[in-house]
Amino acid sequence: MAVNPTAENIIEIRDVHLWYGEFEALKGVNLTVKQGEVIVLLGPSGSGKSTFIRAINRLEEHGRGDITVKGIPLTHDVRDIAEIRREVGMVFQQFNLFPHLTIMENITLAPINVRKWSREKAEEIGMKWLTRVGIPEQANKYPGQLSGGQQQRVAIARTLTMEPEVLLFDEPTSALDPEMVKEVLEVMSDLANEGYTILAVTHEMGFARGVADRIIFMDYGRILETGPSDEFFENPKHDRLKLFLSQILHH
Amino acid sequence: MTAITQSLSQFKGSIGQHFRWDYFLQDNVTSSIWLTIWVALLTMVTAVYTIGQVASSPVPTLIIIAIWVAILGLAIAGGLFQKHTKVGDWLGSNLVGSISNALLTLLLMLWLASAFRSVLSYAVINATFDPALTAPEVRTKDGATWGWLAATNSNPEVIGGARDLLLYGRLDRMFVPRVKAAGLIILALALLTVAANKTGVWQSKKPVSQGLTYAWLLSPLILFILLNGVTYNPDKPLINFSTLIMGTIGVLLLYGFSWWQKIVKYSLANVIVAAVAFPIFYVAWRFLAQSQLFPVINVDTWGGLMLTLIIAASVILLSFPVGLILAMGRRSEVRGIPDWITWPLVIIFTVWGFKTSTPGLLADARNTIETLIAFWPILIVAIGYVIQQGFKGNIVAAFSTFFIETIRGVPLITLLFMAIIMAPFFFKSGTVIPNPYAVIIGYTVFSAAYMAELIRGGLQAIPQGQYEAADALGLNTLQKMRFVIFPQALRILIPALVGSFIGNFKSSSLVSIVGLFDLVGIAGSVVGNAQWLGLKRELYYGMALFYFLVSFTMSSYSRRLEAKLSTGQ
Repeated sequence: MAVNPTAENIIEIRDVHLWYGEFEALKGVNLTVKQGEVIVLLGPSGSGKSTFIRAINRLEEHGRGDITVKGIPLTHDVRDIAEIRREVGMVFQQFNLFPHLTIMENITLAPINVRKWSREKAEEIGMKWLTRVGIPEQANKYPGQLSGGQQQRVAIARTLTMEPEVLLFDEPTSALDPEMVKEVLEVMSDLANEGYTILAVTHEMGFARGVADRIIFMDYGRILETGPSDEFFENPKHDRLKLFLSQILHH
Repeated sequence: MTAITQSLSQFKGSIGQHFRWDYFLQDNVTSSIWLTIWVALLTMVTAVYTIGQVASSPVPTLIIIAIWVAILGLAIAGGLFQKHTKVGDWLGSNLVGSISNALLTLLLMLWLASAFRSVLSYAVINATFDPALTAPEVRTKDGATWGWLAATNSNPEVIGGARDLLLYGRLDRMFVPRVKAAGLIILALALLTVAANKTGVWQSKKPVSQGLTYAWLLSPLILFILLNGVTYNPDKPLINFSTLIMGTIGVLLLYGFSWWQKIVKYSLANVIVAAVAFPIFYVAWRFLAQSQLFPVINVDTWGGLMLTLIIAASVILLSFPVGLILAMGRRSEVRGIPDWITWPLVIIFTVWGFKTSTPGLLADARNTIETLIAFWPILIVAIGYVIQQGFKGNIVAAFSTFFIETIRGVPLITLLFMAIIMAPFFFKSGTVIPNPYAVIIGYTVFSAAYMAELIRGGLQAIPQGQYEAADALGLNTLQKMRFVIFPQALRILIPALVGSFIGNFKSSSLVSIVGLFDLVGIAGSVVGNAQWLGLKRELYYGMALFYFLVSFTMSSYSRRLEAKLSTGQ
C-alpha cells in the first residue's frame, strides 16, 4: 500500500482556521494528501480532528484558509460543494442510516438522485458493495433490524456505491460493541489496500499501525506531529504526543 | 376486625387453599382509612341509585342487576375454585376486580342503561319524522321533531323544513345540482381511494393509483368550475395570445425544473405534453366560459354545511404547504446579506425618510405622539439592526420569523375581520374579493403560522446526523428534505398535524361571527326564524353529532396512518 511518490495531490489544505462562534476549533492546519494515501488522525477529544475532516466536505464551514479537493476549491459556491461531496464519501460514528428506508433504498438513494443513475444500475452496484461488506442477504431489511456492526458496514457500502475517490471515516468503530469492531476494521483495511484515499479519525491503534501510511497527531486545533506509522509510535518527538501515547498504549 | 377475620379464617378451609379472607378485606376495604370511607360511600350511593332505578323502571333494572350478579358470580367462582376461563378472567380483572370496581360497574351499567333509554325515547320512540307535524299545534311534546330538519322548504306558504338552508344557505336553488355533483365527485373519489387501498389494488396496479392521484390533483379545478363557475366576458377576445405564450413558457419551465429535480423523467413525449398542455387547457377554458355551461355563482351566497366544508377543506389543504415554506424559511441557513450592503442601504433609506417625510409630519404634528411618529425613519435602523444582529443578515429567516410571530400574536377573529375589511386595500382598486375567499385567505394565513411551528418542531426532532448523512452523500437541499427528512418528520408530526386539522375544522365555525352563514351561522338564523319557533334542540344535537363524526373520522384515520408509516422502525 505504499504510496506512489509521483502520485498527484488529491487534497490540499492550507492554513485552515475554523471558529464555532468565539471558539477557534482549528488554528491553522496545513496538510497535503496524495492519491491513495491512508492517513489516520489521532488526538485527545476536543483536539479538532473530527472538525478537521468534517471541514473537508463542508459539514463544517472553515473561516479562513483554503481547502482544495481534486483541484476544486471549497468555496461558498453550492456547485463546488456538491462536486466535492460527490468525490468525498463519509462514514459516521453513529452510522446515520435512514431508518425509514430499506438497506437497498439507503444505498441507492444518492446514486439515483445525485449521480443520476438508473435504478437498475444503482441496485446492481449497490448489491456488489453489499456483497463486498458481507451482508447481501440484508438488502430488504430496515436499518433497525440490523446489528451495529452490520449497520456500519451498510453505511460503508452506501458511501462506496457513490464511487468516491476519498473516504473520510469519523470514529467509525467508537459506537460499536467490541466484537463488531473487527468486522468493520477488516472492511476498512481492504479498502485501504485497494488504493482509496482515506482519512480516518480512530482510536484503533492496530489499524493505525498496520494500515496507515501516515499518522497525524492533533491537539489544541493544530497538527502537532506527523510521520510514517512505525516512526510515529517508536520515536515520538512532541511531549504532548508522548503523554497521549503513554496513556492509550499502557492498558 | 381481628374477631371477624378469625371467624372467617375457619371458613376459608372449605373453599380453596389459596384464598385468604383477611388479605381480601385488607386489599379491598381496610388497607387505609380513605379506602374504607370511599367503599362505604360508594356502597351507599350505589344502593340509593339502584333502589331509585328499580322503583322507576323495574324490569330493565332487574335484568341489569341479574347480569351484574352473573358476572360477579362467574369471577368469584373462577377465583375461589381456581377454574380459570378466558371470559371469567377478563370479567374478573376488568369489571369486578375489586369491591369498588364491582360497585362502579353496577353503577355505570345502570346509568348507561337509563341514559340510553332517555336518548332512545327522545330521538326515536317519542319522536316524529313527518314534516307535516312541525307546526307548534301538532308538534310532539315528549320527543324530537325531526321533520323540520329533514324536509325542504319548497312551498313558502306551508311550514316546511330547514334542510336546504342548512345545506346550502342562501345559495340560489338553481345551482344546487352543481353543488350536489361536486359533493358526489369528492365522495366517489374518496370511496374509490379507500376501496383501492383496502383491496390492495392501489399497491399492485399502477394505473389505478396513478389515475386516482391525477383525479385528486384535478379535483380542485373541477370543484372550482362547479362551485364558482367560469367567468365569461363577451367584450374580451376569446383567445389572448400573450397569455397563451406566457402560460406555455411557464409550464415548460415548470417541467424543466421538475426534470432537474428528478420528479419527472425526460422524454420527447413529455416535452410535447408540457408544450401543448397550457394551450389546450387555456383554449378549453375559454370555450367552456363561452359556452356558459357553468355560469358564475355569487360566492357570497355560499352557506350552510357546504360553506363549512369548503372553508375547512381549503384551509387545511392550503395551510400545510404555506406552513411548510414558512418553517423551512425560519430554519434556513441562507448566507446572510453582509453588513457592508445592509448598513449603507439602511442609511440611505433613513436619510431619505428624514428628508422627504419628517419635515412635513413635524409641521402638521398637533401633539407629542404625532411629533414622535414624525421620526419613524429611526425604525429602519432598528429593523436593520435586528436583521443583522438577530439573523446575521438572513432575511429569509427574518421574514419568516416576523410573519409567524406577528400572525400568532393576533386572534383569529381579528384576522378574519381584517381579511374581510382590509383585504381590498391590498389589491388594485375595483378588485372585489368575495367574503368567503377573503376568509379562506385570512384563515389560511393564521393556520399556516401555527402549522409552521409544528413542522419546525418536527424538523428539529430529526437527528442532526440524518441531515449530515444526506449532505455527505451529495443530496441537494430539496432532495434531502424530500427523501430523508420529511418522511421521518411526517411520522412524528401526524398526531399534532391532525390535531391541528381538527381544530381548523371546528374553528371554521368562527366565520359566522364575521357574517358568513356557515353551518353554525345559518343554524343561528334558522333557530331565530319565526316559523320554527321553539325548535332548536334537534338542530344542535344533529350539528354536535356531525362535528363529532367528522373529527373522529380524521383522528381515527391519523392513527391508522401512523401505524402504517411506522413500518420498519
